[in-house]
Amino acid sequence: MPSQTRTLLERRYAALGVMLIAPTVVVFCSVIVYPLLSAIYLSFFSIFTPTLEGDFVGLGNYTELLQTEVFWSSLGTTLIWTVGTLTLQILFGVGMALVLHQNIWFRSLARSLILFPYFISTVVAVLVWKWLFNDLYGIMNHFLISIGFIDFPMDYLGTMPNALISVILVGAWKYFPFVVIAVLARLQTIPDALYEAAKIDGAGPIARFFDVTLPQLRDVLVVIILLRAIWDFKEFDLIFLLTGGGPLRDTQTLPLLVYQEAFALNDMGKASAYAVVMMAIMLVFMLIYIRRTRTEDGS
Amino acid sequence: MPTIRKIALNVFAWTIVLAVAFPLFWMLVTSVKPSFELFRRPPTMLPETWTFEHYWHLIERTNFLTYFRNSVILSTATTLVVVAIATLGAYSLVRFKYNGRESLAFLVLFTYLLPSVVLIIPLYLLLVNLGLANTIFSLVIAYTTFALPYALWLLRSFMAGIPEDLESAALVDGASRLGAFWDVILPQLLPGIISTALFTFILSWNEYLYALVLVNSDSARPLTTGVMNMLVSAFNIEWSLLMAASVMMSVPLIIVFAFLQSYLTRGFGAGGVKG
Repeated sequence: MPSQTRTLLERRYAALGVMLIAPTVVVFCSVIVYPLLSAIYLSFFSIFTPTLEGDFVGLGNYTELLQTEVFWSSLGTTLIWTVGTLTLQILFGVGMALVLHQNIWFRSLARSLILFPYFISTVVAVLVWKWLFNDLYGIMNHFLISIGFIDFPMDYLGTMPNALISVILVGAWKYFPFVVIAVLARLQTIPDALYEAAKIDGAGPIARFFDVTLPQLRDVLVVIILLRAIWDFKEFDLIFLLTGGGPLRDTQTLPLLVYQEAFALNDMGKASAYAVVMMAIMLVFMLIYIRRTRTEDGS
Repeated sequence: MPTIRKIALNVFAWTIVLAVAFPLFWMLVTSVKPSFELFRRPPTMLPETWTFEHYWHLIERTNFLTYFRNSVILSTATTLVVVAIATLGAYSLVRFKYNGRESLAFLVLFTYLLPSVVLIIPLYLLLVNLGLANTIFSLVIAYTTFALPYALWLLRSFMAGIPEDLESAALVDGASRLGAFWDVILPQLLPGIISTALFTFILSWNEYLYALVLVNSDSARPLTTGVMNMLVSAFNIEWSLLMAASVMMSVPLIIVFAFLQSYLTRGFGAGGVKG
């Protein structure tokens, strides 16, 4: 008898649990799962955006895509952008976290200032940087000329390779605070005893960094790198707003290509095919990340 | 010797901090300079004449206030809807057992990482077919696609941090499951809910791509696309005006940031922040 009432209670609890998750499931299915499947479905059609009429072309979009030069060059640009900006974010982010972990003056103010680029809108960041980069009156040219780094005003966003370098640098500036905060949080949990022991063993500051700090940071760094790699790979706003993919198509990454194809060249089917392929590439990183977080959860 | 090292470290640290923050300082300075002073060479580090004319100009002669109002409505609505649904969802995912729970948690994490450009074409078609395009409501729907997985994931880890014994004790005392949720779980979860709400608000406030694609009338445009439009459509770019707009656009974020810093860092620890 007691076991029966228990299962009854458990069943009632399960029903309540389902009821509580129901709104989530409904929203998920209608705004995420349905559009996701729909995107895959659309990628088998050729659709003219203004009329939204289209024909079934099967795998046509995909075979065409693999043969177009613009796809491969965009993929290349995406990889350069991701690797470049991610590397800078990690190096600068870890370095900054180590500095901010020290007992410097007005530490919490310094931390807030460092965090700020991450919280402002990409639109704001881009407007400010466009003004800094302004060819005639921008302070960047003035500064670089006055320290003798360049002799003439430079065009930061209109020529190559300047445009790609600028985009990578602005991306690093905007997103490295994420690395700072995540690493800082981890640094605070490293037991002091480890450093004491290393000191007694005669390890200098550099040896202590490589032998104590870095191994302790390893796990959190893997997660940060995966997350940032995924987010940088799909970044749209920053690049679109800074250069629009230009000059020509030299800073055009895959997300910009999807947008361009769908809303400027008016072929939604082909754009969906690009998006699906892009997602397939990201899937590798997403699955590794998901596996890692799940094993950490222990569930 | 230690003091010299300490001073050197501080100078080094603050040089970098100020260099990182410089663009934001420059935004502020530019916004209070009269237009003619922008063309001074070399540039003046602090304004010789302070003026707030650009702010007045922004409020009186542009659509800025409409965009601002739209952004407030849009971000608030998205935050309320998403946090309400996600709080119930997270409670269910963490504290109940039923079939499909694990795969649902997997789906949440998966969609949390999903790129917007994949969803944007079908969403665009869907909202056009429903006749919702060009409304703030359509953006609320679109924003749930990234805000809901994000809020769920964050709240899930906050929820997992609440001891299960608290709930059991309430149940033993005769409370119903929902009663225990209301009286025991919710008060415990409040800091988590607040920080999730803040992050969701920031995400919605800063969103650009959906706003660009789904809305092309000034009456429904939020700040991000609205301000960007001021840049694109201007005959000659008034940088002071744009910097004033940037400052005003960042004010709500600064307020959130300054007054609730403790909540923010807690959120960072719990689930990371979407970028």
